Amino acid sequence: MTVTTAAPALALSGVSKRFDGFPALDGAHFSVREGEVHALLGENGAGKSSLMNVAAGLYLPDEGEVRVDGVVRRFSGPLEAAACRIGMVHQHYKLVRALSVAENVMLAAMAVESQSAGGDRSADKVGTTASRAALRTSYGSRLARIRALIDDHAARLGFSIDHRRAVHTLSVAEQQRVEILKALVTGARILILDEPTAVLTDEEATRLLQTMRTLAAAGAAVVLVTHRLRDVREHADRVTVMRAGRTVAECDPRATSTAELTELIVGAAAPAVTRKAAAPGVARLAIRNLTCRRHDGFEVLANLSLKVRSGEIYGVAGVGGNGQTELVEALLGIEPPVSGEVIIDGVGDIAMASPAARQSIGVAAIPADRYRLALAGTLPIADNYGVTRVASGAYGSVLWVDFRRMREEAAAGVREFDVQGVRRIEQPAGLLSGGNAQKLVIAREFASAPWLVVAHSPSRGLDVRACADVQRRLIDAREAGAAVLLVSEDLEEVLLLADRIGVMSRGRLVAEFDAPVDRQRIGEAMVDHA
Amino acid sequence: MRSLRRGRPVVAARRRMSAAFDAAVTTVAILAGLALSAFILVVAGVPAEELANEFIVNTLTDADNLRAVLAQAAPLAFVGVGAALAFRVRFWNLGLEGQMIAGSVAATAIALADVGPPVWRLFLMLVAAMAAGMAWALVPALLKLRLGVNEVISSLLLNYVALNFLLHLLYGSWKDPVDAFPHSPAFDPFERLPDLGWGLNAALPLVAAAAVFAAWLLGRSRAGFYMRFVHANPSVALAKGLPVAALVLTAVLLSGGYAALAGVCLSVGQEGRLTQAFFAGYGFSGILIAFLARNNALAAVVVAFLVAVLFVSGQSLQVFYQIPFAMVRLIEAIVIISAAASEFFLRYQVRWLR
Repeated sequence: MTVTTAAPALALSGVSKRFDGFPALDGAHFSVREGEVHALLGENGAGKSSLMNVAAGLYLPDEGEVRVDGVVRRFSGPLEAAACRIGMVHQHYKLVRALSVAENVMLAAMAVESQSAGGDRSADKVGTTASRAALRTSYGSRLARIRALIDDHAARLGFSIDHRRAVHTLSVAEQQRVEILKALVTGARILILDEPTAVLTDEEATRLLQTMRTLAAAGAAVVLVTHRLRDVREHADRVTVMRAGRTVAECDPRATSTAELTELIVGAAAPAVTRKAAAPGVARLAIRNLTCRRHDGFEVLANLSLKVRSGEIYGVAGVGGNGQTELVEALLGIEPPVSGEVIIDGVGDIAMASPAARQSIGVAAIPADRYRLALAGTLPIADNYGVTRVASGAYGSVLWVDFRRMREEAAAGVREFDVQGVRRIEQPAGLLSGGNAQKLVIAREFASAPWLVVAHSPSRGLDVRACADVQRRLIDAREAGAAVLLVSEDLEEVLLLADRIGVMSRGRLVAEFDAPVDRQRIGEAMVDHA
Repeated sequence: MRSLRRGRPVVAARRRMSAAFDAAVTTVAILAGLALSAFILVVAGVPAEELANEFIVNTLTDADNLRAVLAQAAPLAFVGVGAALAFRVRFWNLGLEGQMIAGSVAATAIALADVGPPVWRLFLMLVAAMAAGMAWALVPALLKLRLGVNEVISSLLLNYVALNFLLHLLYGSWKDPVDAFPHSPAFDPFERLPDLGWGLNAALPLVAAAAVFAAWLLGRSRAGFYMRFVHANPSVALAKGLPVAALVLTAVLLSGGYAALAGVCLSVGQEGRLTQAFFAGYGFSGILIAFLARNNALAAVVVAFLVAVLFVSGQSLQVFYQIPFAMVRLIEAIVIISAAASEFFLRYQVRWLR
């Protein structure tokens, strides 16, 4: 081996990767040293995740090389990367929901062990206790060893986690900890986290990032893929900025201003959101004493009441998991409430109406879980655009659908709403990046002037520019007289957009404020009842 | 260190494929399956030089054989299009044979009871067959929509219910009094599908119309457009307010109706009476046809024709080389496994890594 102490723990250089001729990475480079937290910053679609997927062995680069401790490696799969002690925590967790924490970790550990003990193609030797002998030990003794390792790592990181619990009973933040423990127990020394703070509350995010600092201090190399400037400025030692598949800068986050970083990310200053004063009219949506129960009887929404008037944005703030998802799903008719009323101006109570019966009301819905409630990823962009308007006869009769007109209107909508990455209108919607898929949803829902908008975390996971675009659309809708209900776990977004703010906690609306409001007071309302 | 290695194959996910690539891979897979089948036939004793003769030349150039192929293709196309209809709404209808039986039992009941004037008899038989096939398909459909019962199990098990009911009738009240064999009395001439000349009966125009109707429904109608969403992402279809239950019900009932007509082609069209095993193997063939045709109604007709060629050649192999007809099933299975396996190449690309 030719390891020298000067070599970075992980270095990627000249990495290019094309998907069907479309360059996702174009000569990108990146390196991280032991003992540092290194942020990889960029817009959605800038190539951050693709570059890290190359490092973690998920993608084979078309060009370029990956060096671990100065040695060139070619990974043909994540196990080979894991054998080189590279661990990645993906944005969407790779956990078996029915298994316990310990079993999930053991599953990963067994795979890495067999890779190192058996194949041993690219790794020379691995730091874990991997060996053929270890593979022959019994299930029970191996599980006991894994449990001890989990407890050991958890204690060191300050995680409180019960290794016997089934993964599906854990919160998102807890599942993320399981992913981190999985990486550490399998011996990861280079830890890559893809958008780790996107699904966490502010407090959880801060705690996670402090944990990463602890890991780095103990000698690990931590890569933080993110688009949140705040994470970077407060917690990273170095930052690499990517744009359009290329590495555009590497700098010290503390010596670089927010404006400079933003400019590096988007290429030009991000458009700021401007707005007129609210001119609210009649209440278009009135929710009265809405109560929803989970299958186990737990009350997820308790006597919730609120009103949204035309020409205003009503923001629902709160820590995630306090009934926001249930509120939105009740409003869209996906999960009917136990009791209460949802009164639509001029229509009446629709609390118990099915989504099909709500079609004619024309609610523009922007759900948080796009591929569960809004888009069919395998179907063409045109189909996804046209599906809600077919019923109105806009694209031919019941007997003959006019696909040509649907494609034309979809192409026009996609242009108007600036959906990027559309090479053909017939391409599957699932190939769009998160921000562009969200823009496609908005293009469809806002195709005819929206009257009532229900948006749930509409800019979550989006980059600076897409986020501003989405927020701009909500303000435009409000100024055109729509009633907008914005349910968001991002307090910044609610403060920026809402004319009135309700705070949710444990399924109740615990406080209501008129904008502008002191964030301190909202914060108090959020935690007082938590 | 390891630079001396010659390299190794690695597999990477393919992001997107073109329709042409898709078609090419499927074609190669089917050809590979046929090549493997040819090898097995040669081992079983068919002279290699006779294979092409038996399968293509004799079947398609000989008028008698071509007639047999066309006659065989009609029920296969019905059952294949029927399977495709159900698969389009993610309903795995494995009860095609049960629906074939139910349809033919209903048609036979009309014939034996002499319902209506002779002029209308055949029409009534067809209507009764479709209604019965739909009713047989309605059971697993309702069980799935109302109670969440897995249709793979319920529709499959209903085949045995239908089969035993059929045997109960044939060994009991419907036993032929003329020869005392367990099959129904022969239908009157006006109770059979009319001859169109050249030895072909009305099954062919019937199936052609049915396939065009299905192609229109799936490809051009609003319901068919909605079915794409039910197939691609049921939860999105529900959330966007599409009438999912009605769409599933429509497709499944049509599937049952088409299966019933496939049965009618055999019992009323070819055999001229209700027999014990007129349906045997058609359920599997229907699934094979829908699968190879990617649930496309018109493609299903083409695939059904090819499977009919296989059936007819299989019959002549049986006669000339004493090859059991099970060999045809084996070839069907090999082709479907090859096509299924080829999906790997559609989803992944294999590269040689040095």
